[in-house]
Amino acid sequence: MAAYQDHFFTRGPSPLARLTFFSLFAVAVMIADHRFQALGVLRQGVSTLLTPVERALMWPGKVGRDIGDYFIAQEKLLDENKALNDKVLQLSAEGQRAQLIAAEQEHIAALNAANLRFNRKGVVAEIIRDARNPFARKIVINRGYADGIKLGSAVIDGNGVVGQVTAIGATSAEVTLTTEKDQSIPVMVIRPSRLTVPSAEPPSEAAATTTPATDTVSASQRTATTRERNERGGLRAVAVGSGRDGKIELPFIPVAADIQVGDTLVTSGVDGTYPAGLSVATVTVVDKNPAFSFARIVASPATAPDHHRFVKVLDTADASYPQVDPAIADRAGQEKSALSKREAKLDAKRALRDR
Amino acid sequence: MDLSPVSRDILRPPAPMRLVLGSLALALLINLLPWSGWALIIRPDFVLLMLLYWVVHEPQNIGQTWGFALGLVMDVADSALLGQHALVYVVAIFLTELLRIRIRHLSVIEQALHMLGILFVAQLIYIGLNLSLGRDFAGFALVLAPLLGALLWMPLHFVATLPRFRRRGDTALL
Repeated sequence: MAAYQDHFFTRGPSPLARLTFFSLFAVAVMIADHRFQALGVLRQGVSTLLTPVERALMWPGKVGRDIGDYFIAQEKLLDENKALNDKVLQLSAEGQRAQLIAAEQEHIAALNAANLRFNRKGVVAEIIRDARNPFARKIVINRGYADGIKLGSAVIDGNGVVGQVTAIGATSAEVTLTTEKDQSIPVMVIRPSRLTVPSAEPPSEAAATTTPATDTVSASQRTATTRERNERGGLRAVAVGSGRDGKIELPFIPVAADIQVGDTLVTSGVDGTYPAGLSVATVTVVDKNPAFSFARIVASPATAPDHHRFVKVLDTADASYPQVDPAIADRAGQEKSALSKREAKLDAKRALRDR
Repeated sequence: MDLSPVSRDILRPPAPMRLVLGSLALALLINLLPWSGWALIIRPDFVLLMLLYWVVHEPQNIGQTWGFALGLVMDVADSALLGQHALVYVVAIFLTELLRIRIRHLSVIEQALHMLGILFVAQLIYIGLNLSLGRDFAGFALVLAPLLGALLWMPLHFVATLPRFRRRGDTALL
């Protein structure tokens, strides 16, 4: 009673004063979080407290789903089995090829006394849920810093890159998908059809398409150079998420760039976050309007993380930027000017001939 | 005792803190359910609704400080920018504090209409903040969330004012 009377009339600052104080505080927090990423500790602490609660809350739904699964399991398993068998067959061919390439790569690496570019260690994690935020493209996985996950690690699944770890709790982590607005990832364009069957296009056919007979040699040379370029991996670019499901964009690609619908985007590895060679997306729209200086290029991501449950978080702590031998770098710097001159000459020749 | 609504209100014993905190925790749990897709877009914010209810009925205990704190918790839970929900909650609670006296003496339906306005403003701020961050608009279904929230106000009002939730023996205060 006495305690009650103590603050019967003392109400503290007025609502407006409090509103001003708290709004300014909230805005300050937002700026600190957005601009300086300064509040990771607070976020980590709160999420560590919330995670067990969220786990518990998912339990009834999980039990329900498990019961449902039990009844449809048989059919689903058969389907899945078939799909997996198909995939095994498909992959075994590729796998053998990859083995060869890996062996070659190892050989070359040994010759160069250089390290392999990345190690393939990682942690397998289960996707717990989507982030409860209609404005964000994020998922939450069931591994956190207790499992050795680090901020910024790349997350992949069987089909390619899923995204990147952007917030960590003790036993959970947030993964921002590649489709999140402004989430960018350095890529390289490759053309799978020519890559897998380079011998499928006979040089005579290529020669026949270019009319003058005298040009046969140079034409076949030309196909050889394009093929070489494709095998090397052509255009390098930065893919940027669009904020919409199933859409990644490639801004700032010149209209004249060599890119087609069906091209595959793989990580180029220049950022030191994503190891090179993981598939990111397939180009679905190429809109080359000469009125604009850049082409509009849209790609659909290689993975659909809402369709399955497991991902792998790569251990990128040891992944370093692609190492360049200083001697080579020096030489490259000197050769660059010469090379570009030579290429310019070649281009001019080609232009003349095409005319 | 024959009292005017205002004096009846003033003389009503305060709700036990246990009830206030318990209901806020329950609302938080509901918000933490794995909502996704359409359900997520039209989900009314249960925490905000419960906060506003207690701001109307227990202004001594629940105010903008609670709104700010729970807002930060929701930001972490929803993987949103920190401070987003905090700002939204604080503004909504401020508006409720302004309209509190009036709200308490209206019928439940009229109360729900007031809540619709407040929740709508809150939703607008939330959407505006996300758009200003360059995010894509998630669809006009977002408007349904405050609507459902206002509808929920009625059962909430009914349940929380059930006599069994009132502290016994407090009639001595009268």
